[in-house]
Amino acid sequence: MQKPALLKIVDQFGVNKTLPLVKRVFTIGRKPGNDLMLLSSGVSRDHGAIVYDNETYYLVDKDSKSGLFVNGERVTRCELHHQDNIGIGGHEDCQIQFLEESLPPIFESSKGLSLSQPHPASGASANEELQQLARYVEVHQAFKFSLTPDDVLCLIVDAAIEMANAERGCLLLTNDAGQLEFKLARDSKRNLLSGVDFQMSRTVVQEAFAERRTVVVKDHLENDQNIRQSVYDLNLRSIVCVPLSHFQMSEKTMGATEMLKHNTIGVLYVDSRKSRGEFSKTALTLLESLAFEASKSLESVRLMQEEQEKKRFEREFATAREVQLALLPTTFVQPAYFEVAAHSIPCRYVGGDFYDLLTLDDGRSVLILGDVSGKGMSAALLASMAQGVIHAQFNSGLSLPDVVTSLNRVLVRKSDVQRFLTLFCALIAPDGTLNFVNAGHNPAILMRTSGKTELLSSGSMLLGAFDFAEFHAHETKLEPGDVLVIFSDGVTEAANAANQLFGDQRLEALVKKSAGLSAKDIKERIEREVVTFTRGLPQGDDITLIALKMKSLIS
Amino acid sequence: MEINPRTNGNVTILDLRGNLTIGSGEEELTAIIARLLKEGQRHLLLNMAEVPFIDSSGIGGLIKSFSRAKSDGGKLKLLNPSQTARQLLSITGLLSVLEVFDDEATALSSF
Repeated sequence: MQKPALLKIVDQFGVNKTLPLVKRVFTIGRKPGNDLMLLSSGVSRDHGAIVYDNETYYLVDKDSKSGLFVNGERVTRCELHHQDNIGIGGHEDCQIQFLEESLPPIFESSKGLSLSQPHPASGASANEELQQLARYVEVHQAFKFSLTPDDVLCLIVDAAIEMANAERGCLLLTNDAGQLEFKLARDSKRNLLSGVDFQMSRTVVQEAFAERRTVVVKDHLENDQNIRQSVYDLNLRSIVCVPLSHFQMSEKTMGATEMLKHNTIGVLYVDSRKSRGEFSKTALTLLESLAFEASKSLESVRLMQEEQEKKRFEREFATAREVQLALLPTTFVQPAYFEVAAHSIPCRYVGGDFYDLLTLDDGRSVLILGDVSGKGMSAALLASMAQGVIHAQFNSGLSLPDVVTSLNRVLVRKSDVQRFLTLFCALIAPDGTLNFVNAGHNPAILMRTSGKTELLSSGSMLLGAFDFAEFHAHETKLEPGDVLVIFSDGVTEAANAANQLFGDQRLEALVKKSAGLSAKDIKERIEREVVTFTRGLPQGDDITLIALKMKSLIS
Repeated sequence: MEINPRTNGNVTILDLRGNLTIGSGEEELTAIIARLLKEGQRHLLLNMAEVPFIDSSGIGGLIKSFSRAKSDGGKLKLLNPSQTARQLLSITGLLSVLEVFDDEATALSSF
């Protein structure tokens, strides 16, 4: 048995509280669950404690930011004596006195650690209403602090238990399916109660939730047979159940103005085996008001969590973009016989377009540009796979048509993915011989030094659709000064505000005008013209370009 | 996209109206084709006269529908695709497998 001692507190609202020190460690802090919870931003979450050790009470600072004081002196560990004044740094308007005496007898029969004064047996006194109001203001202010979701839940339940003079309470919140789910239960001594053992009147809970109204049950006055039975079964005398409901703007529908609508996110339930449920109108109003505030607060916590989740996804996508861009070469080993520049601009974080330049052992070069149907992450994954397959197969010595044929089979086997790939693949020899397969892709533009253009299409099927598709290579001869532009449909299908497309003809004309430029300048000019054409409209598809210009040939 | 099936002899003609693009028409089309095949319809003709635009997802929808019909022992053919649709079918090499007709009577008698 501890030496009797208590704290006499006059809080910032001028309300008197008396707390007996009956635990070996009596904790003080902002976090709900502390024996003395002080809701002020200056108070640390775990601020300090009063520890009973060897027949003596000590005030101990737990690394708080603003410190603890005894009779005006800052202390880290200090023996407490009768009538010492305790100061909490950051909460100076609260007066606390340590007294080595027992609680007056009237307190023993009341709710132990409750912050409220004992209440008269019937009705609510003015003093009680004042306390309830003070408690309400306190909790209301607490919602402004950055509390964790669990803190908010504890705070709400504790406040409700106190304001309703109940012995225990719990909070149920709706899950994604809109069903009520048990979240947390506490007793009046601020202990967590297990949800498994927490029996409550489901009828009352459902009624409060479904009808969005406060339900007050008093055993001796209840008319509803079901409710009376459950109250009797649970050996209760009174129940208060308040919906957690707030207003929110309903989503705008076409042409309609914004409407306020109710958003009910759960219920707050408290009950008592002692109290007859003689709640004053003020107490109920405060409780409802608390539920309203709590509902808003919980909703904003939820929105904050969603926002954090969104940010996490964004970071992940940003990483994916870096990886994808790293897979696409930005600097090429420029062969002696041509110069080349390439670039891909995904319209989302990542894209379904890809390109690559490989140099084979025999000195020939492979240029590829592929476009997976669809956009975003799923297309990007398939694009990376296709790029890897092509790379590996050229390195293993397969011919151009065989590489494309086997890639097609790989993609058809993965037909569950339901994505297709169009591909332009060119094989260029140092003597200027160009072999290409165009598998369902936009024809590449070949501009001769004469200024004439040829469109390189071979009528082959896009990849991933049919396993019977056959692919043949076409051959032509490139001469010094010839320009080859390979592109994805994001270039030609770039649309302006009037919904006009950039189009094949505009691109072809632009290539013709660019005869004197280097490969890099041609690529950059096309990109610039597309941006100018769309006038800053968001990009609708991945844009990918390869520009190549032949130099002196090597026979 | 609006899809209205009608029957002529043993051919089910689907009159399509609207763009066949990602999120518009592609899924409905494949679902309707799957249903018709399940009901035993084997000869399907897609009337595309009122489909102004097709994108790569729309092409995907056509490929899926065609493959589905083929594997169920049926036939799927196209009627009157727009110039841009025809161009896309040509670029993607699909004209080599998809039969395309310019008038309904010829299309119907080809089944």
